[in-house]
Amino acid sequence: MIKELNNICNQKVFERLFNTHAKDLRRFLFFKTRDLDLAEDILQDSFIKLWDNCNNVNPAKAKSFLFTVAKNMFFNYKKHEKVVIEHQRRSVKSSNNETPEYLLVEKEFLVKIEEAISDLPEKQKEVFLLSRIEKKKYKEIAEILGISVKAVEKRMHLALIKMKEKIGNV
Amino acid sequence: MKEKLITEGDQFLAKWLDGTISDTRLKDLVSEEDFIAYKKIKNGLDVLEELERPVAPSFIIVNDKIDQNRKDKKSHQIFKWGLSIAASILVIFGLFFAFNSQERSYKTSYAEQKTFSLPDGSEVVLNAKSTINFTEKDWEAHRNIKLIGEAFFKVRKGSTFTVQTSNGQVTVLGTQFNIKDAEAFFEVVCYEGKVSVTNNKKEYILNPGNSIRKINGNDSEKYDSEKLFPSWVKGESSFVSVPLKYVILELEKQYNLEIDAIKIDDSIIFTGSFSNKDLKLALTSVFKTMNIKYMKEENGILRLE
Repeated sequence: MIKELNNICNQKVFERLFNTHAKDLRRFLFFKTRDLDLAEDILQDSFIKLWDNCNNVNPAKAKSFLFTVAKNMFFNYKKHEKVVIEHQRRSVKSSNNETPEYLLVEKEFLVKIEEAISDLPEKQKEVFLLSRIEKKKYKEIAEILGISVKAVEKRMHLALIKMKEKIGNV
Repeated sequence: MKEKLITEGDQFLAKWLDGTISDTRLKDLVSEEDFIAYKKIKNGLDVLEELERPVAPSFIIVNDKIDQNRKDKKSHQIFKWGLSIAASILVIFGLFFAFNSQERSYKTSYAEQKTFSLPDGSEVVLNAKSTINFTEKDWEAHRNIKLIGEAFFKVRKGSTFTVQTSNGQVTVLGTQFNIKDAEAFFEVVCYEGKVSVTNNKKEYILNPGNSIRKINGNDSEKYDSEKLFPSWVKGESSFVSVPLKYVILELEKQYNLEIDAIKIDDSIIFTGSFSNKDLKLALTSVFKTMNIKYMKEENGILRLE
């Protein structure tokens, strides 16, 4: 019974581990790969590997197992990529793709943004989270909170000014 | 310049953030330095939101891939085994083929209910006088089910399949839902998860509590249901604003009856329920409330007046 409850092969335990670690792993992988899709792929494959080894991994060690596997997968991918790039350089002249701006975002900067959001005055934070996290339109937020669209926009506007002051010109 | 500032008021950053005003416009409104700072915050927010996205969809994909791997492994083993006893391979192949290509069929008769599992572990409860067909062999490739009648599906997490009915097609992703397909009556109720219903080339997405139905070729109507599972699973048939004709049809299915409704107007609308276990009670609860008399004739047919 104890074994059952504490075994990763138990679907419930596996799901709990996924819910606990998936976001951290996704974030970790994004800053390694700078590629959201690739991060997602490695994230999924890492958990499949965990499932394949569910009898050999102690749930308490699952996190370090996941991060190690993810790191290795990333290195293997890099190795493979080098070969591919080498090959492409020889065959076709690759077009110069501009790096999307979001790829340049630094880890520390995200932490700063998160802090700035949590420091917002309650009313602004409420509107800000509804808009950016819940993806609600200003009009929908106005309906939810029973205020005018204009008031919603004012709060968003002020929230952004507050955040800029907090983060500073970087 | 000044005019712009007045019209945008103190909301222009909100408008810029949701894309109503452009970067170029913002550049006019704030200093170069501030513009770069805002732009950077916006980029940071975009990344943050991507990273904070719910992980549930990824979990579904992971489970699907795990299932797929398991199936691949299994078929690989069968293949190896087959090779090692080459002498009997023809016989086995023959049997294997005959067995696997056979269409699986589940059928219920009058007053009967059946519960069974699909190849992916999803559970199906089939209501009276209904049929379900699927091929086990190409389940992975097609995941297609044919349904005539009414069934309640409890889908395993991460599974998808399509249910074909004469009235439309229903596609699912990890959910619980009920389909009723009776002649010109078509109804889908979603109890959990998400269901997509395609009917006359139109697609409807149902969320928990949503239902869609279509009667006699009228336009599909959407409405809400608060139940957690269909009442027939617990031995009761219930209806909300349904033409009496379909209530009578259900009575016939549940009790193996033949009902003659020629003398009554079976298009009147009925709301209510009847027991699937007690005929007398069922007849009273349907017809007494509608002021319809019923009597059993010698040939066994129930005549309504």
